[in-house]
Amino acid sequence: MTDAELIDKLKADLGDRVEIANPARRRLFLKVAPGDLVAVTTRLRDAYGVVLLSTISGVDLGTAFEIIYHFSTPEHDFNLRTEIPRDDPRVATITTVIPGAILYEREVQDMFGIVVDGIPDGRRLLLSDDWPEGQHPLRKDWTHDRPKEVIPGGQS
Amino acid sequence: MKFQIPIGPQHPALKEPISLRMTVEGEVITDADIRLGYNHRGVEKVAEGKNYIQNIYLTERICGICSHSHSTCFVQGVEKLMELEPPKRGMYIRYLVSELERIHSHLLWLGVAGHEAGFDSFFMYVWRDREIVMDLLEMITGNRVHYAINTVGGVRRDLDEAQKAKILEGVATLRKRSEYYLDLGANEPSFVARIAGVGLLSLEQVISLCAVGPTARASGWDRDVRKEDPYAVYDELDFEVATADTCDVLGRVVVRIKEVLEAYKMIEQMMKNLPDGDIACKAPRKAKPGEVVSRYEAPRGENIHYIKANGTDKPERLKVRAPTLGNYPATVEMLKNGFIADIPLIFAAIDPCICCAERAVTLVSARTGEESVVSTAELRKLALARTKNAPVKRNAVWPL
Repeated sequence: MTDAELIDKLKADLGDRVEIANPARRRLFLKVAPGDLVAVTTRLRDAYGVVLLSTISGVDLGTAFEIIYHFSTPEHDFNLRTEIPRDDPRVATITTVIPGAILYEREVQDMFGIVVDGIPDGRRLLLSDDWPEGQHPLRKDWTHDRPKEVIPGGQS
Repeated sequence: MKFQIPIGPQHPALKEPISLRMTVEGEVITDADIRLGYNHRGVEKVAEGKNYIQNIYLTERICGICSHSHSTCFVQGVEKLMELEPPKRGMYIRYLVSELERIHSHLLWLGVAGHEAGFDSFFMYVWRDREIVMDLLEMITGNRVHYAINTVGGVRRDLDEAQKAKILEGVATLRKRSEYYLDLGANEPSFVARIAGVGLLSLEQVISLCAVGPTARASGWDRDVRKEDPYAVYDELDFEVATADTCDVLGRVVVRIKEVLEAYKMIEQMMKNLPDGDIACKAPRKAKPGEVVSRYEAPRGENIHYIKANGTDKPERLKVRAPTLGNYPATVEMLKNGFIADIPLIFAAIDPCICCAERAVTLVSARTGEESVVSTAELRKLALARTKNAPVKRNAVWPL
């Protein structure tokens, strides 16, 4: 199936729930509303064989967070994107559909402070246990001040 | 009674910090938990503050074994963003290094697998041969680990005829030996008896847990980015995707040796068809606003970079997913219902030593739960006393 045929099929199937962009061969970018995310993922898995999730990217857009789910099939790459407001960053888990998404969802929770509703294992993944609450390193307004290096015994 | 065995994060047998918690009942693992983040360096955040050229060298340092795969994945994404058409000769040299790197990484893994299975002569033979490919990489790029051959728009070093001859000579030697290893790995009775049926991962689990690379291909999941999404030169090369259907460590050994054999084939084709011309084209400093998803088949599986450009010379966002992260959920499943003695085999790529890990500080009777050798509190007291008297740097004058 060529990209154009697939886009037509997707449009007929999913209607106006998705906005489809096709910037390069094989690469499809599907924009969905956060509420439709799980339904669209389920439909893609069942009808189009989209089972391999490569990763989940979070992007800080300033006023909103964009979350991109990078899926692929042998013929096409599906990049499912959704935008959630920055002051109430909540998104539903897709682990009910794709169980392998768990580590990526935990990573997004750590790095952007996005709350993944219904995540089966919401512990921290990358940040250490003593990391202060509410600090999310990949947000654009988060900056790192390197603590002054202390040499035991002092410098002689 | 259930025990929890912690392995790591700091452990003499682990080359890298990772924490594994095994819940065991007798010899059988009932549950496994992996905790990460001990080596998190914030590369994605650092990348936002560096320009594209600096980021090539930053991404190269994400991994010490497949360093070329991260920098290549990044560079091929940036080339798409900048709409560059890198010259063919440069591409051939870049992906020649990719395939050589795959060979060195797979041979390293094979050696470790042999070592963990108690087949140390296999380990030594394989690692001796790995030196051939390491020497070739050093000859081509000047470095053994961080090759630094990539640049935006091509590569930084050219090949000459003498080097081509040496590469072909090295590959011929390696092929002969790898065929022997395939025979040995798949047929040697004691080795096969140790690795067959260990670390089972069914195809359904591969699909649901999104496993990648040789781990997935050993369960009959024939996905390979080089085949399905052929980047740069791979649509001009003739090769097959190596798979196995045994779903165990034996299958993973076979898949990796077969992949190495395919890599020799590709290298010979690349050497035969190496085009003339430039090795790099001039690249702009800035990239237009846009985004790109770059995929690359690293030795361990699919490597994916998402790069978003904002019109300056620095990326707005760089997201990196290394293949090992994708395989962790599957690893947990492989460990479950296995034996303690199989942990190192299943985890061979990370290479933990279970003899050291099993150093239980308290002997607890499995029937009564009674502590018999020394209580944890007492041990802690002893440890604190020991630390106090140990020659630490506390008040020492720093020699520098």
